[in-house]
Amino acid sequence: MNMRINRRMFLASAAALFAPRVARAATVTDATGRALVVPEKVARVFPAGPPAAILLYTLAPDVLLGWPRANRPEECDYLLPDACTRAEVGRITGRGNTANLESVIALKPDLILDVGATSATFVSLAERVQQQTNIPYALLDGRFDAIAETYRKLGELTGRKADAEKMARYAEDTIKATVGRIAAIAPSSRPRAYYARGPRGLVTGLGGSINVETIEMLAQNVAGGNQGGLANVSIEQVLLWNPDVIITIDQDFAANMRNDPAWASVKAVRDGRVHLSPKMPFGWVDFPPSANRLIGLRWLAKILYPDKFPEDIRAQTREFYAMFYHRTPSDAQIDHVLAGRD
Amino acid sequence: MNIEGHDLTIGYPDRTVGRGLDIALATGEVLALLGPNGGGKTTLLKTLLGLLKPKSGEVRMGDKPLGGYSIRDRARVIAYVPQVHIGTFAFTVETVVLMGRTAHGSLFSRPSARDRAVAQAVLERFGIAALADRPYTMISGGERQLVLLARALAQEPQFIVLDEPTVSLDFGNQGKVMNEIRALAKSGHGVLFTTHDPNHALRAADRAFLLRDGTRIADGPVAAVLKQDQLEALYQASVERLTDRTSGAVAFLPG
Amino acid sequence: MTRSALPGLAIATAVLIAGLLLAFTIGRYPVSLAELGNVLLAKFSGHRPDVPGAVESVILQVRGPRVLAAALVGAALAVAGTAFQGLFRNPLVSPDILGASSGAALGAVIGIFLSLGVLAIQAFAFLGGLFAVAAVYMIGSAVRSRDPILVLVLTGVVVGALLGAGVGLVKYLADPYNQLPAMTFWLLGSLAAANVSDLLPLFGPVGVGTAVLIALRWRMNVMSLPEEEARSLGVATGPLRIAIVAAATLTTSASVATAGIIGWVGLVVPHLARSLVGPDFARLLPTAAILGGGYLLVIDTLARTAAEVEIPLGILTAVVGTPFFIWLLASMQRTWS
Repeated sequence: MNMRINRRMFLASAAALFAPRVARAATVTDATGRALVVPEKVARVFPAGPPAAILLYTLAPDVLLGWPRANRPEECDYLLPDACTRAEVGRITGRGNTANLESVIALKPDLILDVGATSATFVSLAERVQQQTNIPYALLDGRFDAIAETYRKLGELTGRKADAEKMARYAEDTIKATVGRIAAIAPSSRPRAYYARGPRGLVTGLGGSINVETIEMLAQNVAGGNQGGLANVSIEQVLLWNPDVIITIDQDFAANMRNDPAWASVKAVRDGRVHLSPKMPFGWVDFPPSANRLIGLRWLAKILYPDKFPEDIRAQTREFYAMFYHRTPSDAQIDHVLAGRD
Repeated sequence: MNIEGHDLTIGYPDRTVGRGLDIALATGEVLALLGPNGGGKTTLLKTLLGLLKPKSGEVRMGDKPLGGYSIRDRARVIAYVPQVHIGTFAFTVETVVLMGRTAHGSLFSRPSARDRAVAQAVLERFGIAALADRPYTMISGGERQLVLLARALAQEPQFIVLDEPTVSLDFGNQGKVMNEIRALAKSGHGVLFTTHDPNHALRAADRAFLLRDGTRIADGPVAAVLKQDQLEALYQASVERLTDRTSGAVAFLPG
Repeated sequence: MTRSALPGLAIATAVLIAGLLLAFTIGRYPVSLAELGNVLLAKFSGHRPDVPGAVESVILQVRGPRVLAAALVGAALAVAGTAFQGLFRNPLVSPDILGASSGAALGAVIGIFLSLGVLAIQAFAFLGGLFAVAAVYMIGSAVRSRDPILVLVLTGVVVGALLGAGVGLVKYLADPYNQLPAMTFWLLGSLAAANVSDLLPLFGPVGVGTAVLIALRWRMNVMSLPEEEARSLGVATGPLRIAIVAAATLTTSASVATAGIIGWVGLVVPHLARSLVGPDFARLLPTAAILGGGYLLVIDTLARTAAEVEIPLGILTAVVGTPFFIWLLASMQRTWS
């Protein structure tokens, strides 16, 4: 009884707190069709997870309340110092919450932004958090091919439609420029790629997994026969797949596998087609899966089809970093990034 | 050779069970330890076995303090027959008896041919050689008691200490174990056993030691110590004395 | 009993040989018996084998080391389980009773959390197992009790739970896109990554631990009696217990460091071995080792061949182990009390 009164009182006071803003609010639908009432001026946004934080940073670094995990100083060399060093605020992802909802409320966000899967699980999570905090909770589609649409929605939500449109166009152009150029190549004649994660390179993304979306856009994922997320496979299975190209994000694996006789007979190793993915300040393939994958797609296209993509990846990197990360990297920094170093 | 306890205070780290106890056991004699439950019989037994350190006083074996022996040396002089129990694992009777040979081997050794010969001999002595290959968990209670006796004898000790050797046995097996205890003394062993039945002490022991509330009530030849008034004092209960007219043998009935 | 040991040992050996044959010939990458013979012959005679390079590398670099690692890990867990069941006089005890697995798990997830290399992660896991058991032992010995075994087991349970919470905390703090999946896969147990360089750090501790336990085989029989009985038979139970725990922990930690957490083997195999040759450790330990090796080989062969994707070993052993355990509970009264 007591609890119910407290809760009712809390909701009432929360409603009173937000009432003036709600009065001047606009209604926007998110990617799941949920209608959200957001204030006219969105000045403080809480990112529910890393993909949302990155997306938000690229479009509107000033409204980002903090990062799910604090960035390392090396990473901040590539980002706006002020935005990059904002506090660690945890994440809201179902049961694995590291963000305390009371702290979320204390930060007084105008909006909670979540970018990722839009399944019923996450819709209900969004509803719950929104009900508990009385803060609009927008759930946007985190799939790579929805990225332009996601930018446009985010522009609507934050009132930055013009900037969002530019980024959405860039995304569309990037996908068109890469996927379009290889459209004539039948899927079965595209290079067969293996995405190696983990220190031994034996964790990979199965078909349809968010981890290999960009790879599957341009190449055949050797592990694509099974649908799913990440999975463990054996070296024997990799030998059987015998991929043409290996893409990895793990520096240890990339360094050690070249001397590992077990991998020596794999075609990609024999042909020298093992590529270490750039990861500064964010990974280029899936680490985490957000807007950072746009430049990753250009890089993948180049390593998968060196003849078809003669463009200078350094210039493309500079352009992307300047536009999305709001800071133009030096030549030395670009070298560092392209070498796949931390 | 003797085992002697002088002015012993016995007990556990958190509890004193008995004080001022003097007790001695010589080879070739049988000493029965009697007393009500909780009176300190088992604690005294474990102290004399060296399993429990006296809180004060000293236990000597031969001309050395008991604590001066290594565990292994001690096991070659004193053997312990615990109350009959069923083991966790189904070792064969022969293996159980061979465990009595442990103190005669080195840390890494297995039973030797001589160890097997000793085991065979003690099994035959107790008439249970036929059980050698049977699992110890699958024989009767009386057989188990004999196996544990055989194991103790396989240690080739000078002293054998038994904790209530007759407690879970049927009438016939009780008599059998009494006889074996007498036989052990005859073969030169010093035997100490605890019992709840004064008649068993009369039957098998030379001397009796009466223990109540951690104090000695009496100690001496069974005929002198096991009397109606002593037993009534020991158990704080009435006892009836029966005498066989022809043989003059004495027995006691409780109540 | 001596007479009945031979058939039991023969059955165990047959299981191991069948497991080895099966494991070497079956796999995701097709290798024919002829190719297998060719490569092995060439290996021993020093010639170049007459097969494609990929086949040679599958046999010598991939499947071979994995098969050996599976046999070693299975043997190690079975031996450690046998030793602990005897020491604790309880047939329901498994090698992680004193926290070796939880300690190794915490070591490994910390290693992954710090983004260390594979060898460092394995070293962390190995040391984590050793430290956990050492801590359990020291705490357990500090608690004065008339039943040191019970105190030790309870301390193991409590410390294991605390270490489990530590694992949970590290997983919670881990980066969900890279470290968390790595931790999850590691904790489920797998030999997918086993290679030649794993074999020595695995064989060393397992060999030493198993050798010590086999050397102490007769004393271990006596150690399975109640504490005071064992002491009255001339066994210095304190030091011997430390030696047995140390040896069993060495083998457990080394296998957990290589293969992650694989439950059930150390619980189930000692029982099977005991039903084959009886409880005498002199026969039980070698039989359990051989049987454990064969058993995990069969399980691992299933894990790597059933699907394109690896099935975690911990899951397969649980699927096999749970029904067995229930059967054990049902039949328990008959065999021991």
